[in-house]
Amino acid sequence: MGRLHLAPQALVCKNTILEGDIRIGNGTVVHIDASIIAKNGPIIIGTNNIISDRVKIVNNHTTPLVIGDNNQIETDAVIEGRGIGHKNVVQVRGKVVGTSTLGNNCVVGVMCETDPSENVPDNTILFGNPQSRRTRSDNNAEYLEVHNKHLQYVHEMLPRYNAIIGAE
Amino acid sequence: MSSELDSGSQLGVLYYCPCSGCMRTTDAPVKASKQKREFAELAEEECRAPLDISTQKQLAVLRTWPIEKLYYCDDCSEVRCPHCVIEEPAGYHCPNCTFDVPTASVRSEKNSCARNCFHCPVCTHVLVVVVVESTQGDGGQSCSVLSCAVCMWDSREIGWEFETSTGISAQIERMRAGGPAVKEYASLLDYWRTVQRTASATAVGSHGLTSSASFKHRLTSAGLHGNTTSVDSLPPYKAACYVDSGAELTEDFKALEDANIIPFNGDPRTKEPQRVRLHMKLSRRCRMCHHILIKPESKAHNSRFKIQLLAANFLPTITFPNSLPASKARGSLLEHINTTPLRVGSTMPVVLRFTNPLYTEMDVSVDVGELDAAQTDVLAPRFTLPPFAELWEYDEDEDDSSLASPSASSSGRGSVKRGIIHQHGNQIAIQLDVTPRAQTQKLTIPLCITCTHLDDMAEMDTSDTSTPRRIVNTFWAYVSLGTVN
Repeated sequence: MGRLHLAPQALVCKNTILEGDIRIGNGTVVHIDASIIAKNGPIIIGTNNIISDRVKIVNNHTTPLVIGDNNQIETDAVIEGRGIGHKNVVQVRGKVVGTSTLGNNCVVGVMCETDPSENVPDNTILFGNPQSRRTRSDNNAEYLEVHNKHLQYVHEMLPRYNAIIGAE
Repeated sequence: MSSELDSGSQLGVLYYCPCSGCMRTTDAPVKASKQKREFAELAEEECRAPLDISTQKQLAVLRTWPIEKLYYCDDCSEVRCPHCVIEEPAGYHCPNCTFDVPTASVRSEKNSCARNCFHCPVCTHVLVVVVVESTQGDGGQSCSVLSCAVCMWDSREIGWEFETSTGISAQIERMRAGGPAVKEYASLLDYWRTVQRTASATAVGSHGLTSSASFKHRLTSAGLHGNTTSVDSLPPYKAACYVDSGAELTEDFKALEDANIIPFNGDPRTKEPQRVRLHMKLSRRCRMCHHILIKPESKAHNSRFKIQLLAANFLPTITFPNSLPASKARGSLLEHINTTPLRVGSTMPVVLRFTNPLYTEMDVSVDVGELDAAQTDVLAPRFTLPPFAELWEYDEDEDDSSLASPSASSSGRGSVKRGIIHQHGNQIAIQLDVTPRAQTQKLTIPLCITCTHLDDMAEMDTSDTSTPRRIVNTFWAYVSLGTVN
């Protein structure tokens, strides 16, 4: 039996799988079919994240899995590591596996994976097939503007078409 | 390949094009025009020089093709393979922006897209023009940069920022215009133009008048006595990059050696984006009569063909059916054919299906070539393929030869033709009995197939339009049957 603590402005669809000790911050959106399973330890999700459909966030460790603020986790991604920082993008079917963590401003590209246990430093981009990585040279300044527009749109449209937890 | 083939098995049919000189079959019509006859004679001479048998056998593998890759020249009534067609460009376009580039601009733009299409130097993905805040100047100004969506590379990393978001190529040219490389090139051009002028002037002087310009030159220089400039008297070229005619490079050119412009040179941060190369659309002509076989639409977005003469539209397609449609008499599917494995010594039935693409009847005769590895009996060596028709008027489904019971609705043909397993519409499935004699990884049977049909198109050249001509095509097909245990 776990506790689910949703902040007042969090938007979580009803058709999601939420198990265990989960805390979701303000402004975060959890789309349909996402699963957030705090199996062995709690999951703490920050503010203004966009968690897309079919995402699997599983905490197999006893330590908390912490997701920071302003992250975008795209469709079918998997987060099993120890946590991620702020302003990251985990693209479609990207994976944070094992005990890895992501820093800030990182991008895990489409179908790319972190190593099983590494702390990916800030500003790292994982991309390509075969996978390679590089460090971004801009300061990710343009990210927030677009991210906030995305958030605003979703907050407006999602409740019109999906049942939301906590809606009366 | 045909959807009937199981990808796990090794069954397949390849057609052979004997085009080391484009040998012609008999009955091919003689060309009326003299030029075409000359071409044909040249080709006959080419192929008269015989290759020895072993070379022919080794080369044969280069000349077998699945029928999807073959063309057919209806002027020569011959099969053409990708080796015996002439390819020529029918249009140029950029694969990224699908802009049709006129042929004149292709050369001047060095076969690359002249608009905003570039490859990322890090991941070679196509770059996108993005409007961002400028890092130069006082900031807060917006400018356009090239950015990669895959690896997040930015043209700001090499210092490229553009004022407008269109015409990036032109802006790059302008940026490079003041650079030392361009200046050097311009001065080189000037020098060699001078040399050329002097050389042609002296040449003209010895050979007499060639043009009004040189005439004028002679008149003016005639006043200067003894001032004959020759090529040898011109000062040698002094490159701006060397310091005082020594071997040391100036500072400008040492910087150039960082090779910003040369791709694949180490540090990706100094690499520049490369322009996207243009793609061509090719049209294909018969090598003998220069008749166009394939002509695509020249517009990039349109993937159709104006002219499309494929072998599959003229020759019967030979396939291995996995199952045959139900016959009316038996009311069930004939399945599990061509699945029994081959063993040395035992006779296996192999079913081949012939499909007639034409609107006229086609007489087919199948003969087996010599083969040591197996003995093949073609049970139905001659048969007629009905034409392709929209309305299926054919309901003569003949059963497997073992049952030998004609269907009630068959139209007058009482007896079952031996060897024909199934007949539906424009397709006939025949049976071959194969007795392998040796173990092999891949048993291939050569079949010589002759198809005859009447040409129903009116012949323009001949005066006698009442008798349509017969067209005979003979080709070899290599039927692969897989492993023999």
